[in-house]
Amino acid sequence: MINAFLVFNGQGQPRLTKFYTQLETSIQQRLISEIFTLVSNRAPGSCNFLPLPPLLAASGTSSSSSSATEQNDVPSLVTYRHYATLYFIVISTSTESPLALIDLIQVYVEALDRLFENVCELDLIFNFETLHATLGEMIVGGVVIETNMERIVAGVRAQGAVAKRPVNEGSRGGGGAGLGAMAAAGFQGMGGNFVWHGR
Amino acid sequence: MFEKSLYDLIRGLRNHKGNEKEYIQNCLKECRSEIRSPDMDLKATALLKLIYLEMNGHDMSWASFHVLEVMSSQKYHQKRVGYLGAVQSFRPDTDVLMMATNLLKKDLASSHPTTITLPIVALPHLVTPSLALSLLGDLLPRLTHSHASIKKKTVVTLYRLALVYPEALRAAWPKIKERLMDKDEDPSVTAAIVNVVCELGWRRPQDFLPLAPRLFELLVDGGNNWMAIKLIKLFATLTPLEPRLVRKLLPPLTNLVKTTPAMSLLYECINGIIQGGILGDGEDFSAREEVASLCVSKLRGMVSINSDPNLKYVALLAFNRIVTTHPMLVAEQEDVILECIDSEDISIRIKALDLVQGMVSSDNLLSIVSRLMRQLKASSSALAQQQDGQEDLDDSSEDGSGRRAKSQEQTAPLPDDYTIDVIGRILGMCSQNNYANVIDFDWYIDVLTQLVRIAPPPSPRDLDSDSSSSPKSVDISERIGNELRNVAVKVKAVRPAAVRAAELIISRLSTDTVSSRPVVTGALKPLAFVVGEYAFQLSSPDDTLRNMLGLVPRVDYPEVLATCLQSIPKLFAHVAGDDRALWTPERKSSLSLLMARVIHILEPFAQHPYLEVQERAVEFIELLRLTAEAASGQAPSTDEIQQDAPLLLTQAIPSLFTGWELNSVAPGAQYNVPIPSGLDLDEPIHPNLGSLLSQADSLMLPTQGDDEFEVYYNQRPAPTSIYSGPAIERLVDAPEEVGSSYQQAGEESYLDADIVARRKAERRERNKDDPFYIPDMSSSRTGTSTPIHNILQKENGPDLDIDAIPIMSLDLEKLSVSGPSRHQQSQHPRQARQKIVIEADETLGGSGGNSGVSTPGGAARPGYDSENNSDSFNLSKTAKKPKQKSLLQFNSSVLGGLSLTDEQRPDDGFAHERQQKEEAEMALAMKEVQRLRLEMQRANERIQVAQGVPSEGVAVVKKKKKKTKTVVKADEGEEGVVKKKKKKVEGGGGEGVVTKKKKKKAARVVKLDEGDGPDGEGMGGE
Repeated sequence: MINAFLVFNGQGQPRLTKFYTQLETSIQQRLISEIFTLVSNRAPGSCNFLPLPPLLAASGTSSSSSSATEQNDVPSLVTYRHYATLYFIVISTSTESPLALIDLIQVYVEALDRLFENVCELDLIFNFETLHATLGEMIVGGVVIETNMERIVAGVRAQGAVAKRPVNEGSRGGGGAGLGAMAAAGFQGMGGNFVWHGR
Repeated sequence: MFEKSLYDLIRGLRNHKGNEKEYIQNCLKECRSEIRSPDMDLKATALLKLIYLEMNGHDMSWASFHVLEVMSSQKYHQKRVGYLGAVQSFRPDTDVLMMATNLLKKDLASSHPTTITLPIVALPHLVTPSLALSLLGDLLPRLTHSHASIKKKTVVTLYRLALVYPEALRAAWPKIKERLMDKDEDPSVTAAIVNVVCELGWRRPQDFLPLAPRLFELLVDGGNNWMAIKLIKLFATLTPLEPRLVRKLLPPLTNLVKTTPAMSLLYECINGIIQGGILGDGEDFSAREEVASLCVSKLRGMVSINSDPNLKYVALLAFNRIVTTHPMLVAEQEDVILECIDSEDISIRIKALDLVQGMVSSDNLLSIVSRLMRQLKASSSALAQQQDGQEDLDDSSEDGSGRRAKSQEQTAPLPDDYTIDVIGRILGMCSQNNYANVIDFDWYIDVLTQLVRIAPPPSPRDLDSDSSSSPKSVDISERIGNELRNVAVKVKAVRPAAVRAAELIISRLSTDTVSSRPVVTGALKPLAFVVGEYAFQLSSPDDTLRNMLGLVPRVDYPEVLATCLQSIPKLFAHVAGDDRALWTPERKSSLSLLMARVIHILEPFAQHPYLEVQERAVEFIELLRLTAEAASGQAPSTDEIQQDAPLLLTQAIPSLFTGWELNSVAPGAQYNVPIPSGLDLDEPIHPNLGSLLSQADSLMLPTQGDDEFEVYYNQRPAPTSIYSGPAIERLVDAPEEVGSSYQQAGEESYLDADIVARRKAERRERNKDDPFYIPDMSSSRTGTSTPIHNILQKENGPDLDIDAIPIMSLDLEKLSVSGPSRHQQSQHPRQARQKIVIEADETLGGSGGNSGVSTPGGAARPGYDSENNSDSFNLSKTAKKPKQKSLLQFNSSVLGGLSLTDEQRPDDGFAHERQQKEEAEMALAMKEVQRLRLEMQRANERIQVAQGVPSEGVAVVKKKKKKTKTVVKADEGEEGVVKKKKKKVEGGGGEGVVTKKKKKKAARVVKLDEGDGPDGEGMGGE
């Protein structure tokens, strides 16, 4: 299962936080900052998986854990992807497929790109409700329910019009690097390993 | 007042860079008032702003009631904000949730699909057992909703309901199964169900075996990779229960492995094949063999050096899972896995380490640990260089220890967490199975010595260390020290070496660090024990005592302090308690001085707030004062009179600490001690302890020590860090120009120069009697040509003419006796290395295997752990795990007890159905009650009709009066006579009015009969 889905920018400011178990706000923030320190220290060319942040490692899986079945409930995998100015993080248990999660993030970003038309960080800042709505079409209660782009986009649109970013905010500095372009390049960028056929 | 929208808030935040805090506080204040406003739009906007701020870490739990208000809004876009607020901010202790039940029920029954979705999506975040119970009935019909999106979301929500309230699944499962079996079902609904079944599957695989044909069908012609991945994962849990599945699965899986272009599916196929036991033995061996080699070669390809880092990582993950079931397959890949230990990517490194930990043997331990040590060494010297650079920039001459600049550590080559983790693993690997894999204990002691230097300073004990897990706060350097102590206690053959290592570390600690700084390394605690307990094996007890005395006042942690205090009298007893030495004036004065010094050092601790410290300090001070008195009373021996040293000094004090040797005790041994029959631990020590204590409190005199106590208990010690290495070490980083020997290849690369030098010296020492050993020429003194020459020269001094000695008379045995001080240190080292006896932990009967010793390489004894080594550390951690729920963890354990298959027992234990039945019964009963009541009412009315006026006299009179009045009014302007007349008339007409009223009443009763309206109406007529 997926335990949490997070989006934050290069300065560690959260843009979306979704925890599928109830958690104190302060602990949420600590977890985010721990993951941010991990993620911001990654060397280029590293893999898309993080070691467990101390907060999770302490209470969760030690290497010599008890039974394998018990471990299936414990968050053991932190997957991330980096697009332009943003980091997308998924914390999940071992029942999820790691490579599929990388693709899941890609689908999410592509769906956002479709909804906002060439999405950038500013869109996400000002429309965080849409972020939640899009995620809600893909993941419910920690279980993936939809991976088909058309259906996700249609589902979000059914809930009401998606606002574009305010026109006068259009300096597009900082966050305006164009997440969408990155998303489009993502498939090729990953060396074609993760292209989904027959999705 | 002009209200901010979310947009304004965010813009404002962006425009107030620098003083965001103040701006946010103002916004929060505004939101607080706005959210109370009756205007729903304003309320919803304020809530949206609060949700945004909550994301940034500003608590909004206080607003939960307002969240509820917005949730109940009629407008969809406001409702949506309300639900979002609930999802983001409700916590297990949010109490307004009870009030939400009806609202959720209502929204679930809404006619708009978008509105139905809101509670369905929100429920997984909010659900409690009682909420699940009351909403299950409303949720179940949504499984057959016409919208696929609602169906699939409902499936997942039902699963989450079942996690807190397992009975929900029993009610929902038949319907979910129906959806799954329906071939015309929307594929995305099927996929969602497969995802849920996959989550359920590993808990209770046996319940899902009947589904196998349908699942297989989906796998073969599903065409959806996401679903295929989940199906393969599910099958991997099913195959162990149903071996026949293997043959069926093998062809499609092999086909997928060979053809799929999607790497993730390929990976999961391989993973599933191996994990599902499809590689296990059985018939059709050749086909399986083929699959096995195919899978492992693919995984190997993923791990190999040039591949995508993600693939490397997942392949290691797969190996980590396989290693428990197929250790041989993984062991074959040792070479590529070991390469990963040196990867630049820490995630990959850690996964590789996880694997390696399970693969160590006595053959590869040395090389694995060497790799890790090299990493640590490189990292720590890089760190040191960094700090040197910092030092140079600062141009500060006050101290050369370079412990400043905490911030520098963040940019250190390896993060502290990782360093600690690696050290922990090294210790774990070496101490596994009671040191079964360690062959060369001298090497291990050197590694430990080096580790003490590398170990990062303990983090200041932070807030959560006492609230959450305690094993987390075990300082890594203390664990290293514990290892050294364990070796000293358990491996008698190397005890002298271990004791000297401890001695060295302590002397470094006292000389290298600045005397004004507190000592924080936890290693001191076990080391102090070692030097105290085995004081007779110290090379220089006097120096060690002096070092300890110097260290003690600087120790911060009371637990460490207590152990140090205990070791001081032990050392003192050894230094001073020689009963053969003469009681000379020199000895007398030097001992008096020493005692005075010890007392002086200990005195401050007599008032220490930590009782353990205080008690020991007081005891030893008193003891030493007595001894000092005795010593000063005893006249020194002169030339004429032989005087003995005071017995207190030579007999009493040493006898306190000698006697039985202390052995290590198994962790569980204490539990095996039978409780004495007469002992009742629950019995109060004193029947009236409370009053005694309060009396004592009132009697307590105000003392000077108050402040100290206050400081101790209420103030946190300032965080301190220590770098335990001399400055010179960090300046000089030139590679050592020493030739490495063949047996210890590359040791210099990870051990500090001084350790290497000592090691070499020791080896030389050890081998000096060995004619087959050719010593390092560069270090031998002159150009003598043979080892025997060398030995002779060493032993007999340079001025001896070696040619004058006939070679025949060389007696090697004599040589080894000739150095008594060394003899002790290196007794039969070679022999010891052949068969080192490692004592096992002692325990009391019951836990088995109490034979006392084990030899390295011998049969591993599971469950044998030294008192404090990392294995038991891990064990205690895992033992605690079930109780202590991990952060973010789902708890699905309740599902384990629920069986889905026994559906033929409709009556028992099924709360949902029972509840429905109860509700139906309740409804029936209510109807019955209502019917009875109506009957009674009717009977009552019949009686009234029969009795006529009297029973309703009052009402009628009233009516009459009213009537008169109106009549009067109507007839206004007529004469009074008419009035009177009318009155009279009315007297007769009263009857008529009453009957009219009766009719009305009857009509009302009829109405009641039709519907079962509220009772108020029926009763109200009376």
